[in-house]
Formats: sequence, C-alpha cells, structure tokens
Amino acid sequence: MNQKAKPVLIVMIEDDEGHARLIEKNIRRAGVSNEIIPFTNGTDALRYLLGADGSGIESAGRQILVLLDLNLPDMTGIDILEKIKSNQHTRRSPVVVLTTTDDSREIQRCYDLGANVYITKPVNYEGFANAIRQLGLFFAVMQVPETE
Amino acid sequence: MGKSLWEIRGAIRSLLSSGPNDSVRAKMSSHRLGLKSDPMPISKNALVRSTVLFILLGLAALLAIVAAMFWLVGETDVNSKNLIKARSERSSLITLRGLGQDAETGQRGYLLTGNPLYLAPFEDARAKFPEQMDKVQAAFADNPELAGLTARLRETLTAKFAELERTIELFKSGQRDAALAIVDADSGRELMDEARQFFERAIERADQSVIASIERQQRGIDLLRWVTFFGALVILVVVGGSAWTVWLYTRQLVAAQREVAILNTDLEKRVTERTSDLGRANEEIQRFAYIVTHDLRAPLVNIMGFTSELEASLEALQAYIGEAVPAMEKATPYGEVDEKGEAARLAAFEELPEAITFIRSSTRKMDALINAILKLSREGRRTLKPEGVDLQALLENAGNAVRHQIVEAGGELIIEGKPPTALSDRLTLEQIFGNLLDNAVKYRAPQRPLRIHIQAATGPGNTIVVKVADNGRGIAIQDHERIFELFRRSGSQDQPGEGIGLAHVRSMARNIGGDIVVRSELGTGSTFELTFARDLHKIIGAA
Repeated sequence: MNQKAKPVLIVMIEDDEGHARLIEKNIRRAGVSNEIIPFTNGTDALRYLLGADGSGIESAGRQILVLLDLNLPDMTGIDILEKIKSNQHTRRSPVVVLTTTDDSREIQRCYDLGANVYITKPVNYEGFANAIRQLGLFFAVMQVPETE
Repeated sequence: MGKSLWEIRGAIRSLLSSGPNDSVRAKMSSHRLGLKSDPMPISKNALVRSTVLFILLGLAALLAIVAAMFWLVGETDVNSKNLIKARSERSSLITLRGLGQDAETGQRGYLLTGNPLYLAPFEDARAKFPEQMDKVQAAFADNPELAGLTARLRETLTAKFAELERTIELFKSGQRDAALAIVDADSGRELMDEARQFFERAIERADQSVIASIERQQRGIDLLRWVTFFGALVILVVVGGSAWTVWLYTRQLVAAQREVAILNTDLEKRVTERTSDLGRANEEIQRFAYIVTHDLRAPLVNIMGFTSELEASLEALQAYIGEAVPAMEKATPYGEVDEKGEAARLAAFEELPEAITFIRSSTRKMDALINAILKLSREGRRTLKPEGVDLQALLENAGNAVRHQIVEAGGELIIEGKPPTALSDRLTLEQIFGNLLDNAVKYRAPQRPLRIHIQAATGPGNTIVVKVADNGRGIAIQDHERIFELFRRSGSQDQPGEGIGLAHVRSMARNIGGDIVVRSELGTGSTFELTFARDLHKIIGAA
C-alpha cells in the first residue's frame, strides 16, 4: 500500500555468492525491481536487521522481506529465523527460506519457528531458475506489512 | 587287609586330587584367553576313571564277602556232618556199653537169687548185642586206629557174653558152685574192664571230635565276621568316594555353568554394543553422504546457472558477430580474410557452443550422480515401519505394473508359492520388487518373449526368500557382484540408467535384515534371490 512511499527491501542472506547472483538475476527477470541487499553471513545480516544492540529498533517502520539460506558459515539459518521471529520489530516481516535442505524435520522446524514460505532449491539449474522466477512473480504481488 | 585298604585310600586320594586340579587349571587358562574353553573333558574322564575304579573295588569287596559266605556254608556243612557222626558214634558206643552192663547185671542178679526174672535183661542185651556191635564197627570202619580196636572189642565182648552164658547155663543145670567159680576166676571182670577202658577212650575221642568241630565252626564264623566287616568298610569307602567325586564334579559343573552364563551375558552385551556402534557408524556414513552431496550440489547449481547465463550471453554475441563478420568479408575489397573476425566467428559459433555443451553434459552427469547418492542416503535415513505385509498381494501388485507390457509382447509373468505374511517395511518391499521387475523388462532378450517367474517361500532362520527369475539377456559371471555396486552397469549400454537401481535394492534389502544375490548366465537369463527377515522388529530392535 505504501509500497510507493517506502519500497520493500529484499534482504537476501545467502553465503554462496554465485547463488546470490543467480537469485538476483532471476528475480529481476520476473520484473521485480526492488532493492536487494545481499549478505553472505549471518552476523552481518542480523546486525542490519536488528541493529548492533540486537533490539531491532532499526527495522521499525521498514518493509522488509527476508530471503534466507539455512546453511551459513557462522550460524544456521534457523538461529536467524528464530531471532527475526522473536523480535517485536521484525516478527511480521515475511521470511522465505530458500535452501538445499529437504529434510522434513528441518522444514517442520522452520514453519514452527514462523517461516512464511519454505522452498527447496531445485537441483538442476532450469528448475532453480524457474523457481526463483516464480518466487519473483510472487514477490511482485505480495503485500509486506510495515514493521512496528 | 590293612595294606590293601591303604592302597585303596591312596588311589582314591590321587583320583580326587587330579580332578579339581585339572579343572582349576582349565578354568585359569579359559580366563587368560578370555574364551570359553571347555574344562569338562578332563574332569569328565577323571570322573569316569574314578567311578569305574570305585565300582571295581566295591565289586571285589562284595565278591570277597560272598565267597567267604559260600566257604563258610561248606565248612558248616562239613562240620555239622562231622558233629552228627561223632554224636551217633558216641551214642552207639554208650548203647553198646549199656548192653554189656545190662547183661552182666542180669547175670549177677540171677546168680544171686536164682530168680529167672533177672535173666530178662541179659536175654535182651544178648539179643541186641550183635546188631549194636555191627553198628559200632561200621561207625569206626573209616578210622584205622579205632577199627582195630573195635575188632578187638567185638572179641572181648563176645568172650564176655560167652562167659556169662556159660555161668548161667551151669547155674541152670544146678552146678551153682561151678558157675560161681568161673565168676570168681575174675576172667569175666577183666574182660569187662578191658571193654570199659575202650569205651572211655572212644567216647572221649568222640567228645573231642565234637569240640573240634564246634571250634572249627566258631573260627569260620569269626573269619566271616571279619571279611564282612572289612568288605562293608571297603564298600562304604567306595560309596563315600564316589559320592564325593560326584559332588566335586557337580560343583565344578555348576561353576562352569555359571561362568558360561556370565560369558554369555558378556557376549550379549558386547554384541549389543557392537551393533549400536555399527548403527552409529552407518548413521554417520549416511549423514556424511547427505552433507557431501548437499555441499556438492550448491557449486553445481552455480556452474549450471552460469553456463545458462553464458549461453544467453552467447546468443547476443552470435547475433552480433553473425551480422558483423559477413559484412566485413564483403567489405574487404580483395577478398582478404579478416583473421580477427574469422577467429571471433569460430569462437562464437563453434568453440564456445562446443565448450558449453561439454560443460552441460558433464554437469548433468554429475548432477545425476549426486542425486543418486542423495537418494540412497535419504533411503538409508528413512525410518522403517514394520507392518503386516501380505506378500502375495504385494507381488501381484508389483507384477500388475509390468504385466500388461509383458503380455502384449507375447510373454508371461507367473507368481508362485504361498508366502507367509511378513512383518516388514511395505514401501521398501514395493521398491525392491518394482526395481527387479523393471530391470527384467528393461533387460529382456529381444529375440524371445519375456518370461518372468516369481517364487516366494519361507527360508531358513525365520526369513522369507523370493526368487525373481527371467529369461532375459543375463549377466556375465564376472559382473555378478559388480551390478550391485553404485554407478556400475553390465552388458551392452543400450538402455538409459545411472547404475543405481540394484545398489539401491541391495541397500534396501540389507536394511530389512536380508540380502540379495544373483545367479545368471549370459544369454540365458537371471535369477535374483531376495532374502529378508520375516519379522523386521527383531532387526530394528537389535540395532
């Protein structure tokens, strides 16, 4: 609604820079032109989302969509998910888990923690590109609430 | 007797001491080895040896007692006969002496009184004398010493009777003085004295014989008493020794049994430990495979992704060069070749596409391999759910999936046997049979219609055995193990496939407590034999 006033930021937490680039390219191909802020590790991403003190006050009033990989060098994506969803400023921000893991327990755990979408990266590139493009189309129509 | 007893005790002691020592040694060695070595045979032999010896000893003692008894019975028999003989001798002698005395008393009474009444004893004695004399003589006939004396006695007594008779005859005929004169002549008294002396001697002899017999009997009884006593003692010792040996042996058996029980529990514990170790190792390997494949996949996606990007970029490049290069060719007036342009054209239309094709096919292949490993590792991580599986129905179902295809080509599919209901993982079994039947169809011999023959039966050790036989192209003998390896295939590579089906089947078969083997002849057909546990609970419980 106030997309025009405050455009939605896509925070992409993905340690594989190649993947990050491919994701970005394919999202762009779907016509999504929102700013994508990439992070390759959990620490930097959390500092951006919750601030240096971890209060999350920095995210207040922002519209953020998080693209999250579970396999990160410094922490697991689940830790990040947990922190985002338990912080009052960021808990309403949609989190899309995009990872290679297809373990059913892992998927359950993410949804239990409040993940909004869980997508397993397809193994072959065509599938991968396709999935990301569809995700981009989905982004183009979805509403992101403003954080408190 | 005493010495032999000592020997027996020594033998018993050596027997008893050999048993436990051997067993202790055996026990020690079994401890040292930490293995269940059997200490039984040694002490068992000792037991048999000692038991046999004890039985022989007891038997000997018993035989001695019985022999002594028999001997004594014979002795008693002889003694009693002797006794009876001595008594009859004695009584016949006394009777004979009485006859002599009666005759003399009768004669005296008659000569004194003249009363014929007194003649009765004399007459009676004279009548009985010959018979009684015969008896005495017969009784002593076997005694050379007394036989002569009895002959002499007969003469003496006959003479005595003759003298008595003559005096009585003289008296009867009235010659009383002449009769008394004969009596007075003392010849009669001398004869009687001689006879009396003989009687005393013979009777004394008979008495002595009686006493000797009784003494002999007494000695025999004493001997028997001792033999019985010592025999009983030997038997007692033997019985006690046997009981002691048996007790020792039993105690040893009980100890050995306890030891075996302890070892058994130990072994079971060790088996459980090892099994859980194995389970952990297996889990680790699967986890490893899973992680590795995951981490391999991420860069692969990049390679593929950027190859696609490269391809997309190439199109743009090709479009440009395609336009630019021919134009340049035309532009050069002398038909000169633009080397740079030609090289760019070559790169854009031949070299780059070729390189991209190779990258693509290699990454696709690698992708397939990683997927195969991932599938296997995922299968290994799947939790098996044992449930009652109607194998007959399951096989029918699996068969129906391919039957149409087979029958249409003129082949047949036969399912035989009455398999018992299994407690196993349904999905695993479905996948195994699906795989085997797919393979049978895929690798059929093109020159003949396919025949698949499935046979199910109960196997040894609470297992179920299912044989899937086909008349397909068969597998060369050197490939019988290879086909179960990951990414390995056999025969002509005219069918698509990555070589993971049978590796997967084997891994699944092992998961449900079984295995799969193949018997095959190239060009004739193959028989896959699947064995699996009838009750999967036991397999899962052990892990």
